[in-house]
Amino acid sequence: MRGHTLFNWIFAILASLVLLFIIAPLAGMFLNTSAGEMRMTAADPDVIRSVWYTLAIAFTATLLFAIGAVPLAWIMARRKFPLKNVVQGIIDLPVVLPHTAAGIALLGFISRDGFLGGAAQKAGILLVNNGAGIALAMAFVSLPFLINAARDGFAAVPERTEKAALMLGASQSRIFFTVSLPQAWRSVVSGFIMMFARGMSEFGAVVIIAYHPMIAPVLIYDRFNTYGLSAARPASIVFILVALFFFVLFRVLATERRQILRREDDATD
Amino acid sequence: MLRTEQLCKRLDTFFLRDISLEVAQGDYYVLLGRSGAGKTQLLELICGLTPPDKGKIFLGDEDITRRRVQDRGIGLVFQDLALFPHYSVKDNIMYPLRIMKLPLRERIDRVQRAAEEMNITDLLLRKPENLSGGEKQRVALARTLVTQPRVLLLDEPMASVDASLKDSIRRMLRRLNRNGQTIVHVTHDFGEAISLASRVGVMHNGRIIQEGTPEEVFTHPVNRFVARYAGIKNFFRVTFVRSYNCCSCITDNRTKFKLPKGDYPSSGLLIIAAAEVLLSRQGAAGVQINNIHGVIEDIVPSPLGYEITVDAGDHFFADITRREMDEHKYVTGEPVIVSFRPESLRLVGDGEEKKEY
Repeated sequence: MRGHTLFNWIFAILASLVLLFIIAPLAGMFLNTSAGEMRMTAADPDVIRSVWYTLAIAFTATLLFAIGAVPLAWIMARRKFPLKNVVQGIIDLPVVLPHTAAGIALLGFISRDGFLGGAAQKAGILLVNNGAGIALAMAFVSLPFLINAARDGFAAVPERTEKAALMLGASQSRIFFTVSLPQAWRSVVSGFIMMFARGMSEFGAVVIIAYHPMIAPVLIYDRFNTYGLSAARPASIVFILVALFFFVLFRVLATERRQILRREDDATD
Repeated sequence: MLRTEQLCKRLDTFFLRDISLEVAQGDYYVLLGRSGAGKTQLLELICGLTPPDKGKIFLGDEDITRRRVQDRGIGLVFQDLALFPHYSVKDNIMYPLRIMKLPLRERIDRVQRAAEEMNITDLLLRKPENLSGGEKQRVALARTLVTQPRVLLLDEPMASVDASLKDSIRRMLRRLNRNGQTIVHVTHDFGEAISLASRVGVMHNGRIIQEGTPEEVFTHPVNRFVARYAGIKNFFRVTFVRSYNCCSCITDNRTKFKLPKGDYPSSGLLIIAAAEVLLSRQGAAGVQINNIHGVIEDIVPSPLGYEITVDAGDHFFADITRREMDEHKYVTGEPVIVSFRPESLRLVGDGEEKKEY
């Protein structure tokens, strides 16, 4: 029994140290920033513009790339094909690449001399130093979060329910939209939130593609370089609070949906 | 109605080989076999979820071997039922009707009729996770039956049902069949087969090894495997001996049986139903021959009394009632005499035991 208690104490202390490591810098940042500084920064038009810009681009990038990422996730969960492991490795690649290296790779692809950049320029769209380029950089580094979460969600859907739908006369597309996706919905939403959160906090890849227009992480870096730590701190806090608000809001909405479904179930009992 | 011709399919661990079966309109065909015999795979071949490597499937006069699953007119209820957990019972049953693009009025009518037939009208607004095994079974059946399948395939339909509810599911299935529904039912339980089937096919290692009415299959099993499935435990490999005025045989363990007069092959497999094995201390009244001395090895309670195992060189299994047990008070280790009439001995198959695959 005594050994058991000692075990609990050691684990509790180790766990607390890790939590403290996460909380302490954030708490220090809040404690070292005055209310006046916060008010001023929150009213700064550059800060407000960059925060909204970051949120809008990250959300749009997530939404647009979800159109292809969700089918890819379904294929990875349901289909067997040669070199599937290689494809999975490609999906995970952005997670292990240094983000500045990812930015450099992407820049080569979307600059005027690159394949996509050249094609976009012919259509009159400039991808570098532009919102579209920032969206691509955000998506590049954050896509694995959506694909992998959605893949796990689809893999957890009992295959028998899909076969049952087939037996009942459903087409492949109807099965996807009426059986697979509704059952994997939770994981897809969770992946969506993770991709959005990861995308809006991206700095390394974005700064290579577009220093301007400034998204919030670039603005914070710029304030730090130009004016020092005390100027970068309030901007960081504003961005963290806004990002947290949306992160929590999405989580709550997803939970709310689950609770509504559960209440409907209870009402039928 | 439903006919398969020499269906073959190579699977991960074994082959389904030369499956030819015929199910007539209105038949209740039970495919009986142990887990892993290939029963479920055969159902998936018939309904098109898995394509065969070889062979053909006919429904009526039409060759449906390469037809799309959705267009075969075959309904399948999976062993795990595969209800859609995110839909209510009503929406589960409505699902195929929406695909059929039936008018809303007809859809509602069909759901209502199916719910009444399956006695689940009070469950229509519930979600599957709030249903018992028996209720889920009825919902899955209703969902398939609204499509009005020409053949209904059932994969182990009693597997998720409590013993107390099995009777009511059995009654429901019998009623469906009486109303003209052709059914192919897969099970590992020979009691289920006897109580429901108009025809039985016994599957073993990817083949159908015997087919016929339940009576034919269970009273004349083609081999030791089928006999064991039919609950017969007394079977003996014997060599037949013919003398001037009687027939007899001798087991591999040198136990000698007297047989009724007749033509016998040189060797074969004999079975005796446990209920026809008589047990006594002095020899059964009226049985002059086939009295074999042995020792009680085990006494096991059974639903109707006790099953007693006697070691007499060969092992004999005898079923006795509780009343007989109360009267004789047999105990393990006690010497007894096992008796049976020559007519109780049955030759398996045509004498030559068919190969057990």
